Amino acid sequence: MKEQLNPFSIAQKQLDDAAEKLGLDKATHELLRWPMQELKVTIPVKMDDGSNRIFHAFRIQYNTARGPAKGGIRWHPDETIDTVRALAAWMTWKTSVVDIPLGGGKGGIICNPKELSEAEKERLARAYMRAIARSLGVTKDIPAPDVYTTPQIMAWMMDEYETIMGEKHPGVITGKPIALGGSQGRGDATARGGIYVTQEAATAYGIDLKGQPMAIQGFGNAGQYAARLGEHILGLKLVAASDSKAGIYNANGIDVEALIEHKLMNGRVNGFPGAEEISNEKLLELEVAVLFPAALENVITEENAPRLRCKILCELANGPTTPEADKIFYDKGIIVLPDFLANAGGVTVSYLEQVQNTYNLYWEIEEIHWRLKQKMTRAFKSVYEMSQNNKVNMRQAAYLVSVARVAEACKLRGWV
Amino acid sequence: MEPKAINSGIAALDQVLKGLRLGDNVVWQVDSLDDYSYFAEPFADQAIRYSDTCVYLRFAPHPPIVGHRRGLVIKAVDPSLGFDSFTAEVHRVIEQWAKKKFFIVDNLSALVEEWATDELLANFFQVTCPFLRELDTVAYFALTRGQHAHSAVARVRDTTQVLIDVYRIKGIMYIHPLKVWDRYSPQMFLPHVVTEGRWQPVFQSGEAAAVSAIARKRPLHAMESSIAPWDSVYHKLIQYRDAGKDTQQITPEIQALKQEFSRMLIGNHPEFNRLADSYFTLEDLYNIRDRMIGSGRIGGKAAGMLLARRILLKEDSQIDFSQILEDHDSFYIGSDTFFTFLVDNNLFRLRLKLSRDSQLSREEFQDVEQSFLTGRFSPEIMEQFRNMLDYFGQAPIIVRSSSLLEDSFGNSFAGKYRSEFCANQGSPDERLEVFLRAIKLVYASTLSPDALSYRRRRGLGESDEQMAILVQRVSGIPYRHYFFPSLAGVAFSRNLYAWTSRIDPNKGLIRLVFGLGTRAVNRVGGDYPRMIALSHPELRPEVGMEIAKYSQHEVDLLNLEANEFATLPINEVVSEDEYPNIHLLASVMKDGYLSDLYKGVKLYPTEKILLTFNKFMRSTNFVKITAEMLETLDKAYGHPVDTEFTASADLEGHVKINLLQCRPLWLPGLSGPLKVPDNIPQDRTLFRATRVISGGVVSRIKHIIYIDPRRYAQINSMELKRSVGRVVGRLNAHPRLAADKFLMMGPGRWGSGNIDLGVNVSYADIDNTAVLVEIAREDSGHVPELSYGTHFFQDLVENQMIYLPIYPDDPDTRFNSLFFERSANILADLLPESGQFENAVRVIDVPQVANGAYARVVADPQSHSAICFLG
Repeated sequence: MKEQLNPFSIAQKQLDDAAEKLGLDKATHELLRWPMQELKVTIPVKMDDGSNRIFHAFRIQYNTARGPAKGGIRWHPDETIDTVRALAAWMTWKTSVVDIPLGGGKGGIICNPKELSEAEKERLARAYMRAIARSLGVTKDIPAPDVYTTPQIMAWMMDEYETIMGEKHPGVITGKPIALGGSQGRGDATARGGIYVTQEAATAYGIDLKGQPMAIQGFGNAGQYAARLGEHILGLKLVAASDSKAGIYNANGIDVEALIEHKLMNGRVNGFPGAEEISNEKLLELEVAVLFPAALENVITEENAPRLRCKILCELANGPTTPEADKIFYDKGIIVLPDFLANAGGVTVSYLEQVQNTYNLYWEIEEIHWRLKQKMTRAFKSVYEMSQNNKVNMRQAAYLVSVARVAEACKLRGWV
Repeated sequence: MEPKAINSGIAALDQVLKGLRLGDNVVWQVDSLDDYSYFAEPFADQAIRYSDTCVYLRFAPHPPIVGHRRGLVIKAVDPSLGFDSFTAEVHRVIEQWAKKKFFIVDNLSALVEEWATDELLANFFQVTCPFLRELDTVAYFALTRGQHAHSAVARVRDTTQVLIDVYRIKGIMYIHPLKVWDRYSPQMFLPHVVTEGRWQPVFQSGEAAAVSAIARKRPLHAMESSIAPWDSVYHKLIQYRDAGKDTQQITPEIQALKQEFSRMLIGNHPEFNRLADSYFTLEDLYNIRDRMIGSGRIGGKAAGMLLARRILLKEDSQIDFSQILEDHDSFYIGSDTFFTFLVDNNLFRLRLKLSRDSQLSREEFQDVEQSFLTGRFSPEIMEQFRNMLDYFGQAPIIVRSSSLLEDSFGNSFAGKYRSEFCANQGSPDERLEVFLRAIKLVYASTLSPDALSYRRRRGLGESDEQMAILVQRVSGIPYRHYFFPSLAGVAFSRNLYAWTSRIDPNKGLIRLVFGLGTRAVNRVGGDYPRMIALSHPELRPEVGMEIAKYSQHEVDLLNLEANEFATLPINEVVSEDEYPNIHLLASVMKDGYLSDLYKGVKLYPTEKILLTFNKFMRSTNFVKITAEMLETLDKAYGHPVDTEFTASADLEGHVKINLLQCRPLWLPGLSGPLKVPDNIPQDRTLFRATRVISGGVVSRIKHIIYIDPRRYAQINSMELKRSVGRVVGRLNAHPRLAADKFLMMGPGRWGSGNIDLGVNVSYADIDNTAVLVEIAREDSGHVPELSYGTHFFQDLVENQMIYLPIYPDDPDTRFNSLFFERSANILADLLPESGQFENAVRVIDVPQVANGAYARVVADPQSHSAICFLG
């Protein structure tokens, strides 16, 4: 893999930039450049037809200075250890930027879940848990669902862990079904977190969002919730939405609930009555108050960035904007709410799930929303202040805030 | 205001008929006089209660229909006096007692014994019945079923106000109103089971088919008069049978007759002949004949359906298919009827002209269709249509094309001819009207632009293509005011879409839907049937939340209230009420994971139903049965098969299947056997592949979009690499490419999120391509794993896109790098703004660089071989 496209090299480069701006000492910088612990396991699984297959898997605990590692488990045929390392690093910065007492981690199994039956998936989940159980626990590392892993898989893993330990440990894993200790409010957590930071950004920059247009690229789970909450909480008006097939546009506004229903029934937004078709590219260039990229990586590049006309760009998807585009936005004055701040609502509610499991006391949805809002608001404020004080863009500011917090924890522990 | 209802003495009967009325003549068509008495006795009691008298007209030698009782006035009349005197006497009695209102008449069939002709019986009824009506009476008559010429029964039917069929099956009595003048209810014309209390209509298709078929072996009364062209063979066989000869013991003479008879009914294709001779008994052929309207052949679709059933019942199998298969309950409108219709309505020459040469526009075709719709059928055929509709009552039916060439070995004509659903609600005349329209539309579809061009392309322009029609009872159950089967779909004995190497392509594939099977047969964008690979039924080409997207969202059904075919969102159909066994069919998505339903647990209004069929597959042996069915048919046909079915499970999970169609399976783009050519010279071969995910044939490929794997890998900027996907998307939508067929090929996994592993595209960026090729070129000793189309597998299947992975470094693979790398690149012409990508993205105008030759792809998933060549 060429160095400049290796995701872990990219993650290290991002850290290097932040370390330089923060003036981190060499040892701290070097410590933060690498995962603290890597577990690489080889798992044999009995298949339905009696044959055996061997799977390769990882669990990376990138940094645990601020608390136990936290991060998802991915099941993907393209999985590489460098991808998992990079994602574990980003989890470290994400938990830090929202200031929850957790570190960063990530896991992955190289497998294609489309080739596995339910029974095989269960055996794989349990085998993986047996292989890494000793490294997990509410005081060590708490996994969660990620690409191609579901609440059901979390339930199997939790059950396997509890069987090994001989006692109940619901908090060992989050993203569980509600019936097994999952938290309320998980479904819309990512979008809701993004909406709360957008709200703060609008206040900070003096932008009145009431009745203003919003566009959503990627009308999947997060995109749909963003449309709903953007309307309810921020008073925005949805004018455009798209999915992988095409987009739709209506300057007079689109009925969000009807569009969600339409998407559910037709599998696409295209064909929604009263709206005209628009390409994904054109959608990004609409003059809107808030643009939510909620689908793919790298859709906003130096090529199209000059044509973007939104006021706030709230990155619900991971990595929708390339660094070159970031620079253009900073110069144009477009407010970018960077992904690991804007979509940190998910990990925050994961954390709240673990807290409830530990208390063995479960909160009503209102309390989850209130706590999430507190965390997201404070996170925004820290990043905003950093950005203003140091004259850096919001993404750089977010890195500075989070890396500084992790570095401080390492120092206080006397590691460096 | 509705006329005052008169009691029949049986409350349940009054409910079915919405009461009798003064002026009604009620004719009971019965097998036994006991059944007539069953209705006459309470009627007499009721009459006496109402007007203190009931008049019983007694003329037959049979025992009295009603026993003696106070108030019963028996008036004897002698038919041996002859028609004239007898009729005059009867009228005198009627006139004398008319004020007492109620009459019971002996069995009319007895009159034939005296008078020797049905004609006179009908004459008697035709003059007596209106007289009674004028006098505002209510009179009961009876006829013994099967003893009279149809013309006589038809006259009785035309004259009377109420005609009711009565029959028994396994001791249970059924009534089936055939005519109830001026009254209507949605279930009036269905068979009703006569039990204590309320009489239930028999509406569930399987049960109704069994009831109707047993009760009336020969529902088409006019048959005798329409068999002239068949006389020699058919009558000889009938004579053998009637003479008590055992036609199971096939003597050479009977064998020869049977073969001739079979050719007359089925056709003359050698493969069909072999199957028909091996599997059809004489009894089967009689049964076909008994249910044929008009004469001629029954066509490929009907023959395939009947043969497949016979094969399953006859072949040794682990499954007892006699317990699984529902009765099909079909009628066949013979192919001669089509011909006669054309001749009678001056359409024959039009057809000849259009078949030969004309290019017909869609607008011109509408005029042709209109000419067909104004056409008329002969009175004999109309009478048989009426008989058939009487037989089905208000049960929904489907009118399906079954042409001589259709669904046969060699030509599928899939989707070229129409099929029309008749919800079949309304009065008998209204139902007939809709049914006639359906037949005429199917007939007209033989001249549709699609069908004509298909025939011409296949060199069938002037070959014999008469249209037979298969009329089938729609399989299903009534639910709310809808009617549809629980499950339906198509099943193939081979899997053309093995999305992982674990799946065995030699085991079949099911595309399963809830409701009518039209959603599985027709590929409907944005709505997906459940794909079940029979070698690994639990595998899905989707994971997690993707399942919500790639599932069925709408249901095709018959709306009985609106009397029409309809498509409705699933939540609208089943959310208000609980559908039987919905827990077997549906799951709900909760917080990002699928949860199967529990029996009897009501859905929350906010929960969206997702059709997964998870529990149905796990808790019934549907998959095993279907696999066995397909394997048996495949073996008997000696060829892969393509079937259409409906299915249901009872509360205990026992599965019933109604096999609606069976035909040889051809790959997309083909209607004949596929052969991957092996004699193409090297200089015309663009590539040969040794893996095929979805197969078929695509010819006349004009453009090839080629992403050079090496040059793609050399792009160092992530930004630029990402942009390659956008360039592909723009090419996909380019009008110059869209005007013809094009092929896309590129490195690694199309659609992968990781752009190092393949070109980053969404489905919208590739949806116009006819063929998608993933190139796995060895790079530093590492061969990338391909996606096998899993990123948008379901979309590839729905669009019947050919999908191939190719490994250029594999010794068995041929890959003409020079052609792809050196041919002129027209990218900059097409997209001047994307000129910078010329190195990596090449667009080849094939005829331009290959002396006018186009590219052709032939891909066979069974042999795992594919070729793309010029020519």
